[in-house]
Amino acid sequence: MAELLRTEGLTKRFRGLTANANIDFRIEAGTVRCVIGPNGAGKTTFLSMLSGHQPPSAGRIFYDGRDITALPVIARARIGIGRKFQTPTVFDNLTVHENIELSVLRVEPDRIARARKIEQVLEAVRLGDQRSVLAVELSHGQRQWLEVGLLLGNESRLLLLDEPTAGMTSEETAATGHLISRLAGELGLTIIIIEHDINFIRALRSPVTVLHLGKVLMEGSFDEVASNPTVRAVYLGTAT
Amino acid sequence: MVRGETAVALALFALLALTPGAIDGYPIYILPQYLLFGVLAMSLGLLWGWGAIVSFGQAAFFAIGAYGMGLAMQAGLGAWGGYAGIVCGALAGGLLAAVAGYFLFSAGVKSTYFVLITLALSIIVEQLAVSQSEITGGYNGLFVDRMVVPLGPFGELPLSGDIASYYAVLVVVPLLYFALVALTRSSFGKILVGIRENEDRMTALGYNVSFYKTAAFTLSGALAGLAGALYATHAGFVSPSLAGVTFSTEVVVWVAIGGRLSLLGALAGGVLVSALSNYLSSISPQYWQLALGFIFILVIMFSRDGLAGAVAALARRLTGRRGAARSADASDGEARHG
Repeated sequence: MAELLRTEGLTKRFRGLTANANIDFRIEAGTVRCVIGPNGAGKTTFLSMLSGHQPPSAGRIFYDGRDITALPVIARARIGIGRKFQTPTVFDNLTVHENIELSVLRVEPDRIARARKIEQVLEAVRLGDQRSVLAVELSHGQRQWLEVGLLLGNESRLLLLDEPTAGMTSEETAATGHLISRLAGELGLTIIIIEHDINFIRALRSPVTVLHLGKVLMEGSFDEVASNPTVRAVYLGTAT
Repeated sequence: MVRGETAVALALFALLALTPGAIDGYPIYILPQYLLFGVLAMSLGLLWGWGAIVSFGQAAFFAIGAYGMGLAMQAGLGAWGGYAGIVCGALAGGLLAAVAGYFLFSAGVKSTYFVLITLALSIIVEQLAVSQSEITGGYNGLFVDRMVVPLGPFGELPLSGDIASYYAVLVVVPLLYFALVALTRSSFGKILVGIRENEDRMTALGYNVSFYKTAAFTLSGALAGLAGALYATHAGFVSPSLAGVTFSTEVVVWVAIGGRLSLLGALAGGVLVSALSNYLSSISPQYWQLALGFIFILVIMFSRDGLAGAVAALARRLTGRRGAARSADASDGEARHG
């Protein structure tokens, strides 16, 4: 399969602290990857360097065969890198419909095609019935979906999802899992997910990258990772 | 945008069109100037209400437009001097705003700093008007004739009479108002609202935020310059105080009192508050600004969204549609911001 994103020696230092150290990461187009690790492992920092919100201290990022290390957030968004933040970042005082419209507006100038696309996105993220509701009044889980909808609306090809199931009921979490599998399987989107919910990660059946103290501890299937003694020790806080 | 605002605007413009039949004299002379202040207020309303950008520099653009008209009228263009003045005024205001906006927004200057820098812009323009006295007449100001409107094969319409002048302004102001309303409903207006609501999200969605802010500021400057040009030819006189800090601040007060989330509110704020200021200063030259300050505080205490916000809330209560904002079709996008 074709590689969509690759990092080489990606490193981020904040004064004395090394948040990410020498990360070599690679993901194929149309696949899903979970990035896990205990608090402070450097997961969000890693995502921020991919989305352009944090410049790396060293290392390079390649997207679609092109070095994007120096590109700012806006340029990365325009080549299809979309980010869902840890705290849902949507347009609180606008309706669900207006939220999605703002996202579609940039990529679809034609009015009729735009209306059609907005409907498709609303349906995909199961918010069709909430179209006239202000985003601030949605449940936490629905806000997460709305933000994923923003990324679908502007035709992102690489979705960076920071804790997409936070605050969701178990029913919503399961639906999110189905949505993610469908986006990768049917639309061929590439998805990197930071998650804590072990059941959610297991159900996704996607490869897992474990970060610990800013480094890649291991990569593998969920079962491999879950049965690895070092990983278990890291989560229990006894590894060095 | 307040629901039903278009109907109210049409009614008010119709009322203004009938006014010269009922009264004459000073009100007919002065109303066009207040209406042009209303346009100046709308130029800020667009920025503040839709882009959440507060500019204390609107008077600078207004004054530049006014001087542009004054100089164009002296350039020996005959009947075309007025048209040239309008174009010059709008271009000059737009150009100054474009240059200032480009540097400020691409450098990421926001809120308080933007206020301070635009305030400084007014002071600079005022000082230039004073110091470049060979061109501007310095403190003595510049006298400007009433323009003539060339109508092609239909001859020329001089605006020296107050009635002709009144109706000329009353044609321009509604046109500008409805053009602005259309703009706020366009994709451009929606993108501005997105920037107002969440700038970081807009950037992460791939929008060039500083470009749109600069475009809005340019448009606002051009509109203020256009209003200034028309004001100059109507009032017949331009002086440096038009660019001053006091006048710049007054524009912000008009919009805050009228309602920054409604273009009609801003327009009405410009007309009513400038008329009120004029009246108050005639009865108490010392204390009128104090009185205006109290009115400002009272209005903001009772309705944060100004008179337009209060009227919209009242209308919702009377029609028993408190939830109307939410159940309204989202795609027309006009209900909530009242």
